Amino acid sequence: MKNKEQYQSIGKIIKENYRLYLAALVIVLVAELIGLKKLQIGSALIIIYPMLFAILISVLLGPDIFRFFKEKESKNASSLVLVAITPFMAKVGVLAGANLPKLVDVGPGLAFQELGHVGTIFLALPVAILLGIKKEAIGATSSTCRDKDYGLICHLYGANSPEARGALSIYIIGFLIGTIYIGFLASLVASMNIFHPLALAMASGVGSGVMMAAASSTLATIYPEYADQIVMLAGASDMLAAIVGIYFTLFISLPLTRKMYYWLEPRISPKHTRETKNMKVGS
Amino acid sequence: MTMNMRDWTISLLFTSVITTLVANLIGNHMSIAESIPGVMILSAIAFIGIFLGKLIPLRIPAIVYVILTGLLVASPISPISQPIIDYTAKISFMAPITIVGTLAGIGLNFKSFISQSWKMVIVAILVFTGTFLIQAIFAQVFLNLTDTLDSF
Repeated sequence: MKNKEQYQSIGKIIKENYRLYLAALVIVLVAELIGLKKLQIGSALIIIYPMLFAILISVLLGPDIFRFFKEKESKNASSLVLVAITPFMAKVGVLAGANLPKLVDVGPGLAFQELGHVGTIFLALPVAILLGIKKEAIGATSSTCRDKDYGLICHLYGANSPEARGALSIYIIGFLIGTIYIGFLASLVASMNIFHPLALAMASGVGSGVMMAAASSTLATIYPEYADQIVMLAGASDMLAAIVGIYFTLFISLPLTRKMYYWLEPRISPKHTRETKNMKVGS
Repeated sequence: MTMNMRDWTISLLFTSVITTLVANLIGNHMSIAESIPGVMILSAIAFIGIFLGKLIPLRIPAIVYVILTGLLVASPISPISQPIIDYTAKISFMAPITIVGTLAGIGLNFKSFISQSWKMVIVAILVFTGTFLIQAIFAQVFLNLTDTLDSF
């Protein structure tokens, strides 16, 4: 009896979400019918595949543009993302299991390249400061700002802090632009022929399942002879990022970002005026 | 996430299971009958992984348990590894992710997206470029130093 009160009945769940299920099926159908498109831009091969079309169509139909979906359905869809991504992760796991000896060989390399997550700081932080962004820059550039990182920053600084606002910005922008951009970036870097396909595969684990999927599917299309290994390594790298990522942000990248921010900000920020004023008064 | 396993299973059935069959038919030219065992196996692995995540009180994202379950059942120590590998090989890895993009797109709060400043867009681009490039450089250096590539 208690159970019936606690949980909604199956019929009610379906009734609440049937429009969402049906529309999602139609969007997938349309996106798959459009199919995989390849664009040659200079030497870079840009791959646009069904997931990106699906994102664009569904954003257009969302509650803020064409309003086909209601606010409530949009919220439900967000929570379904974590459910719907699990079969893809299961596929990644199966590929890893089937290639286990290779994965063990490359394991130390995977652990080592995780340190590359500090790349967010060295490239993005100086530019953020040059653009006049203040403490928001600390939250924004200390990690790729996926769910767990944003949670961590909120926990440390409070949800209303500048640091958390910065992380939230990257979280929001990251989903739409980041997912589309990372596939493009993977094509572009692949076309330079500097990196081995498997090195690029490991780099695809940026800490977000959707982005990892975007980057690794692009690479797998460019290098079909390595397709399985690419998806397997990208998945393993992303899994490692998911396990150690939060500790990495907490103990390594966040302290490093703070140090660099307080050292760089007085030197290069166009908005840093306080200290020079004080000095004039002093002299 | 507070969803119970029954609601989770219904959600998976109406989102991923159905659309993956469709996507694998159109995108990968595999008939629905041929896709069913693979989709069922992937869904079962996902179910077990999420269930383990609920049982084990460690603060690790549930997704990790799904990957580890998949890894375990397909690894050489598993007695059922061969059928699992063979059946799931019929599902292209692109097929299950179209629905993920769809749901994430529907769930996107577009208003808060366009209220972001152009400065933050530049910073975001650099955050992802930096992570990807530096990881690629580290991975390449390691692969070159250790000759791991020979095993591939």
